[in-house]
Amino acid sequence: MLMVFLQQALNGIILGCIYALIALGLSLIFGILEVANFAHGEFYMLGAFMALFSMSGLGVSFFPALLIAMIGMGIIGALIERAVFRPIVGKPLINSMLLSFGLSTALANLALLLFGADPQKIESGLADYHLRFFGLHLTAERLMVLVVSVALVILLAWFIQSTRTGKAMRAVSQDRVAAQLAGINVSRIYTITFAISGALAAAAGTMVGAMFFVSPEMGFSVVLKCFIIIALGGFGKIRGVIVAAVMIGLAESLGGGFISYAYKDAYPFLLLVLLFMLKPQGLTGGSGR
Amino acid sequence: MNGRMNWAKWLVGLAGAALLCAVPRFFSLDYYLHMFVMSEIYAVLAMSLALIVGFSGQVSMGHAAFYGVGAYASALISLKSGLPFWVTIWCAGAVAGLLSFVIGKMVLRLRGHFLAITTAFFGVLVTLILNNWIDLTNGPMGVPGIPRPSPISLPGLTLSFETRADYYYLGLVFVGLVAFLLYRIVNSRIGNALIAIRENEELARSIGVDAMAYKVFAFTLGGALAGMAGSFYAHYILFISPVTFTIAESINLLVMIIFGGMTTLFGPVFGAVALTLLPEFLRMAGSLRLVIYGVALVIFIIWLPLGVWGTIKSRWMERRG
Repeated sequence: MLMVFLQQALNGIILGCIYALIALGLSLIFGILEVANFAHGEFYMLGAFMALFSMSGLGVSFFPALLIAMIGMGIIGALIERAVFRPIVGKPLINSMLLSFGLSTALANLALLLFGADPQKIESGLADYHLRFFGLHLTAERLMVLVVSVALVILLAWFIQSTRTGKAMRAVSQDRVAAQLAGINVSRIYTITFAISGALAAAAGTMVGAMFFVSPEMGFSVVLKCFIIIALGGFGKIRGVIVAAVMIGLAESLGGGFISYAYKDAYPFLLLVLLFMLKPQGLTGGSGR
Repeated sequence: MNGRMNWAKWLVGLAGAALLCAVPRFFSLDYYLHMFVMSEIYAVLAMSLALIVGFSGQVSMGHAAFYGVGAYASALISLKSGLPFWVTIWCAGAVAGLLSFVIGKMVLRLRGHFLAITTAFFGVLVTLILNNWIDLTNGPMGVPGIPRPSPISLPGLTLSFETRADYYYLGLVFVGLVAFLLYRIVNSRIGNALIAIRENEELARSIGVDAMAYKVFAFTLGGALAGMAGSFYAHYILFISPVTFTIAESINLLVMIIFGGMTTLFGPVFGAVALTLLPEFLRMAGSLRLVIYGVALVIFIIWLPLGVWGTIKSRWMERRG
């Protein structure tokens, strides 16, 4: 029983790492452009397809494909920001919600049309190596997911904390006008934000495609969960988002394993309601707005 | 001057009502009538959502949940107890209203995006329950065999509900009553309080408006009306299943009120009718339909953020000065 619990917990943590990658991008976009991007799940889906096709089309192996997907989605993310989100920055929240929902519908259905509905698998070539420690079971593939996502998160945190561009991003998220007055090119920051978020989502999608499947409808349920994660973790707080992502991953994995699998999508919601009741200011404190 | 204006308004209103009543004479095809009845159901849903989102400024992404709960409540009560539609529609309103009261009490402390996400997930939760509580809801198989409303006879008019035209007339009355109720509410002190909360909640509270109570009121009434619309839907289609009441439907309703403009009552009705009828033309596009819908939505939000009716109205106001 304890072993099963630990095994599920381990799976939950890996799931949480994936969620963290997507939610961090979403939270960056939210903090810096102040728009809600419901199409973020489609970035993740398209990234996964990009990796899949570069493996089958270009014949590259898994890691180059991961890189291609990240770069490709970075570019697409930047283009989408320019064309679609730029005109509505500063408009009410509901506008960006519906706009990005429209984008999400268009992209998901376009993918369905072009790529078909059948789930496809990305072969990382690592699934056959098994590791055992303390009675727990882990494939090399899942270990890779863990390592890559932790590395990406550390890279992101370093980028935001230490580079000039990262500091400019933080400045814009704190006060757009003041940042502009200080000579920061705000539209460039917007584009960079979308590029980074797109690349992170693509990485997450590729790794999920290796562990599970790639399909056109994989995006939407994930994006809702990631919104819950950034609501739990606090908007624009990297550490809070990571903690919340792992919590949601654990809740889903443990709840699905021990309570009821059918209701696994409900646990994040229950966690959120519980949190709002007990601690309305969010996981890591700060204002509740 | 004022008297004459009132006269003109009454005349226009009467002519409009007569025109609406004559619709089944011109469009006798079942297909058209079905679209019109669905427009009526969406008109009620859109108005009830506009009360919450447009007038009180509380973005709810889970409105279809109350629609669904109303539909299931009405269908299951009428199937298990044999009560007629005329009773169960009130039960549906009561059940959905009670649920939205409880949910509203819980979530309306949250603002903006927190509220939107929490209500969205509430919608997901309701869909999950409808799918998985098989003993009660029959799960994804849905509830078949819902009875039609029992016939009513008024002097000179009998509605047997064997034809779609009868539903159309009932729907017309339903939309009219809801519009009247909401018109009275938004033009009362309650409406002023709601608008004050939408514009600036802190300011409203500082002058003594009990913001929470008003928000919960709007949420409860909106939920109850959505539940009644659900009941109408259930006893019209005669079959309900969870796929009708998903988050996609909630967002569809939001799109309707944005399309029409959500700070008037006519806007949501206009949006509901337009977005029920327009997508039918897209049917020829086949599998591209949803792609076109998504792109159209993106373009629309960028170009007409006030909605069609809202834009017309603001242009008109500008011209009048």
